[in-house]
Amino acid sequence: MSKWFGYVGLSIGVLLLLCCIQMYININSLLKNKNPKKDGFDYLPITKMITDENMPNSHSFTDADIAEIKKQPFIDDAAPFISNGFVIKATGGTTLPFTSDVFLEAINEKFIDTIPPAFTWKEGDNIVPVIISSDYLELYNTAFAPGRDLPQFSEKSITALLVRLDCEGVNGTESFRGNIVATSDRINSFIVPESFIKWGNRHFVNSNGPAPNKVLIRTKDANDPQLLKFIQEKNYRINKDKTLFGRIKSVLQAIVSGLAAFGVLMILLALVLFSFYLQLMIARSKENLQLLLMIGYSPSWLSKTVSRKWIPVYVSIIVVTLVIVAGLHWAFQHFVMKDSNELSPFIHPIVIAVAALLLILSIGINYRLVRKLLYRL
Amino acid sequence: MQIRLQQLAPTFIEEEKISGSQVWKNDIVFLPGEKIQIVAPSGSGKTSFIHFLYGMRTDYTGEVIYDDQPISSFDAEEFSSYRKQKVSIVFQDLRLFTEQTVLQNLEIKRQLEPYHTESRIEAMARRLGIASKLNKPCKTCSYGEQQRIAIIRSLQQPFDFLLLDEPFSHLDDANRKLAMQLIEEEADQRKATIILADLKTTDHYNSTKTLNL
Repeated sequence: MSKWFGYVGLSIGVLLLLCCIQMYININSLLKNKNPKKDGFDYLPITKMITDENMPNSHSFTDADIAEIKKQPFIDDAAPFISNGFVIKATGGTTLPFTSDVFLEAINEKFIDTIPPAFTWKEGDNIVPVIISSDYLELYNTAFAPGRDLPQFSEKSITALLVRLDCEGVNGTESFRGNIVATSDRINSFIVPESFIKWGNRHFVNSNGPAPNKVLIRTKDANDPQLLKFIQEKNYRINKDKTLFGRIKSVLQAIVSGLAAFGVLMILLALVLFSFYLQLMIARSKENLQLLLMIGYSPSWLSKTVSRKWIPVYVSIIVVTLVIVAGLHWAFQHFVMKDSNELSPFIHPIVIAVAALLLILSIGINYRLVRKLLYRL
Repeated sequence: MQIRLQQLAPTFIEEEKISGSQVWKNDIVFLPGEKIQIVAPSGSGKTSFIHFLYGMRTDYTGEVIYDDQPISSFDAEEFSSYRKQKVSIVFQDLRLFTEQTVLQNLEIKRQLEPYHTESRIEAMARRLGIASKLNKPCKTCSYGEQQRIAIIRSLQQPFDFLLLDEPFSHLDDANRKLAMQLIEEEADQRKATIILADLKTTDHYNSTKTLNL
């Protein structure tokens, strides 16, 4: 009786485990690469979470914070945004009549997606190249310009525009001409060359500028649950939309892992049942086995012979469950995913490898157990 | 192969019985081809002695040595390799698989390390008068028949030593003679040593040495 419970338990456990592994692999391949990537990476700005409670505190990143972020295996690289500590007033010309206080930021050039050759600045240059977010241009074109009867600009025509930048600090005032040289899909800001911000901070306010409050990270997968876990633990803030799949993924993975753990538990339980059954069987034929040992049969030969009886049972359990998993996976791919090419209709080789491993493991455990029991006779 | 006894004595027999013995507390070497007769009244440890030699019991002092190796150091694998190839036995209590047929009992031993062909089994059974029983379950055979089955079984393997523990207790004189002849022939063929333990000197046994236990 316990033999049949053992078979059924083992089958269910193996089925559960293999299904979970396949599901885990499916989840990973379905919920990956959902964001547009230009060079295989996702770029995400992270900031420190500002809450009512921590409002008075500093929310800037220290060098140690940045070093720690860079060190994480799921983060490829990271760079802080540096910003101006001096006052900047922008004034449009006749085509664009406006005056406003503005901010400028700079970041390591490798993090910018569009860098025209003109994007350089050295002390003495009057023209400061600026890269603006393409979102800003769109906002201007669609929300601001029509109401004020202002001209709309294409991404190309905007580069002809010159804006006066009046920079002011304790050391005096200086005027520059800002020239929009490109738009960026990646960075939501006004970006100027690092050399300009550094020089301006030194020149106008004798400082290195404010500590960075925003860090841009580069990662292979914005939906990596480990990344999300890290962000959450450090109480950082990240664009929720870009990482939504990651959140779904981590929940699903947790559920599947729980089920897999249950499967492993069932397998263990089944093996325990088997061991009871074996003990019973060997106890029942104890006299005959003892006699065989007495007339010269070796315990190792006997254990091999006895445990070999079970190999077909284990093989059929594993093969049948593997076939069921393959059928379920195919049905999922065909009926639920409508034959989408995001998933292969065949089970992943890892599932087959795990099944083979389980087979070897159960035969091995069985053999060792029989051997142990026979040596005890 | 050689079996040597070094001051062997059971732990459970009185000192006076041991001191008068030609076996206990002696140093004895059994040489190839010897035919040893061990004689002892019941209760003096005959079966224990055979069991000590075969490695089935360990409640003794001194040593039983197979080829310079004390068998107290053997593990189950080493015992089985000796029992398969070098030491054969007829137990006093026979120890047959009573549910199996006579032929199965013999085959189970023969197939482990075949010395004879299957047809030799039948010839031996015929010689000892149990050929008609070969396909009958062992439990339907009389004790005398079972004794002959156990003897034939012990002859299915190669051996240097044949241990016999009161092997003829339930055989009549004619059958004793037939069995003894067969055993001696088989032992001579292998140049093996016979150690036969019995209550008194066994008839028809051409023993070369008799030891009183």
